[in-house]
Amino acid sequence: MRLRKLLPTYLLASAYAFLLVLPLLTLLSASLRAEGDLYAPGLLPPHPTLEPYREALSRYPLPRFLLNSLLVSTAVTLGVLATSLLAAYALTRLRFRGREALFGLAVALLLVPGEVTFLPLYLLVDRLGWLDTYAALTVPFMASPLGVFLLRQYLRTLPEDYFDAARIDGATHWQALRHVALPLSAPALGALAALTFIGTWNMYLWPLVVTKSREMQTAQIAVNFILNEEVARWNVVAAGAILVLLPTLIAFLLAQRAFVRGIALGGLKG
Amino acid sequence: MALVLARKGVGRKGEPWSALPFLLPAYGLFLLFMVLPVLEALWLSLHREDLFGRGREWVGLGNFQEVLARPEFWKSALLTLKFALVVAPLELALGLLAALLVYRPYPGVAFFRTLFFLTTAVPTAVAAVAWGWFLHPVGGWANRLLAGLGLPPQPWLTSPDLALYTLGVITAWAGVGFTAILLTAGLQNIPEEVLEAATVDGASPWTRFFRITLPLLSPTLFLVGLLVVLKSLTAFGQIHLLTRGGPAESSMVWIYRVYQDAFFNFQVPLAAAEALLLFLVLLLLAALQFWLIGRRVHYAA
Repeated sequence: MRLRKLLPTYLLASAYAFLLVLPLLTLLSASLRAEGDLYAPGLLPPHPTLEPYREALSRYPLPRFLLNSLLVSTAVTLGVLATSLLAAYALTRLRFRGREALFGLAVALLLVPGEVTFLPLYLLVDRLGWLDTYAALTVPFMASPLGVFLLRQYLRTLPEDYFDAARIDGATHWQALRHVALPLSAPALGALAALTFIGTWNMYLWPLVVTKSREMQTAQIAVNFILNEEVARWNVVAAGAILVLLPTLIAFLLAQRAFVRGIALGGLKG
Repeated sequence: MALVLARKGVGRKGEPWSALPFLLPAYGLFLLFMVLPVLEALWLSLHREDLFGRGREWVGLGNFQEVLARPEFWKSALLTLKFALVVAPLELALGLLAALLVYRPYPGVAFFRTLFFLTTAVPTAVAAVAWGWFLHPVGGWANRLLAGLGLPPQPWLTSPDLALYTLGVITAWAGVGFTAILLTAGLQNIPEEVLEAATVDGASPWTRFFRITLPLLSPTLFLVGLLVVLKSLTAFGQIHLLTRGGPAESSMVWIYRVYQDAFFNFQVPLAAAEALLLFLVLLLLAALQFWLIGRRVHYAA
């Protein structure tokens, strides 16, 4: 009875989901085909092979590209979590002149679209001598107005009593931050971490302009490189792209809740 | 309790020095890598390198005048507008369909949510390559599906008449997960009682959707639509990977023009002026979005 009522939903959702995922499925299919089978019709490869993966891995330092992306995304995420929590703590638990103005500045900076400042940022990073280094890929993004904003709003919802109790026990602000604010804001930090990690992993324009040598390129730029090198060998291109997709896909499947919450919260900014 | 503590000095007015180490990391980085670059872009856009190299001379709004007098600039601005007008409605429609299918719990909903939200986990470059293959003239499924319907194959990315629209579809596809997540949250905020009351009154599912759900969702839809427009105005990766702004500059959108002028034509001051103009447009849209969020928060409170 209930199943019968749900049947149209199941059918429609399945058909729609299939169509949405189809471009990824055909990519996966191409990555499992030998060059001779590349244009054979059908979604399933006629003679599945891992040869394209072997070739992609032997012709390109894909592990290095992925490691670069992982290092950069992890460093930026940790940086954003630390700087945002510190600032948010001061903006909620410390009293000083100009506090509201500083929060206002963070809100105003929310409006600054990062993509548009890439040109002067490039010139600045060039002057600092950071071109083609990890510093260029990480340091400018280690503070996030969105992070400060979200965590400040979150800390404000925590009951005063916890902090008062800590202060009565003689805790310093550092200790209150470490033992009260940090554990209590775990859900907000998780959402912010997911949002920051995927945003950094997805950066394209910035790594494209600040990396010069092969060894410094991130996975995304590597995809562009492989696509240009392998003009007609789409199976190798597809294998490379699938290898670049895997880490984010796995992270998404493992931490879907944090991702969804992060995007729902960060939707304010986008 | 708070009163006692306040007298002990916890809530005292001046803790500026103890606040500094907390604030410095975030605000130092903001100043150096956000505020300074914007100011520098402004400075750059008001100067020009003199003919023989090193020095820079003040040209006032000269760069802006020059940019605004270029037909290529207006062509790019128009292409960007067209692109946003393709992406936004399509992404909203696709995202809304997905959200409608998963916003209410039923056995198996988690599975469909995962599939519908999946594109948020697909890096731009991977999305571009997946579509590059999907649209491949020989091996791609797009033309095969068309052939199955008895339609001729299309030059998706190689025709100047089609490339921008194709890129728009790809961009909308890549954003479905994002839009679906936000609209699912929006649909879940519509009070169930309103819909139940309408059902009791004998309203059909279509009436309920068009008369109740859609009007109640429209503020969210507008806000998400604005977000999608903002994102589409700075779409770069998929264009760089698939068309390089071509064919015949038919996908040379605004942000790509900035990139091209700065890194290939070496016209940094002009590129800075173009970037600032784009910045202005984005700022206005973002301010509109903020104002709307503020109003909505106000309503909710």
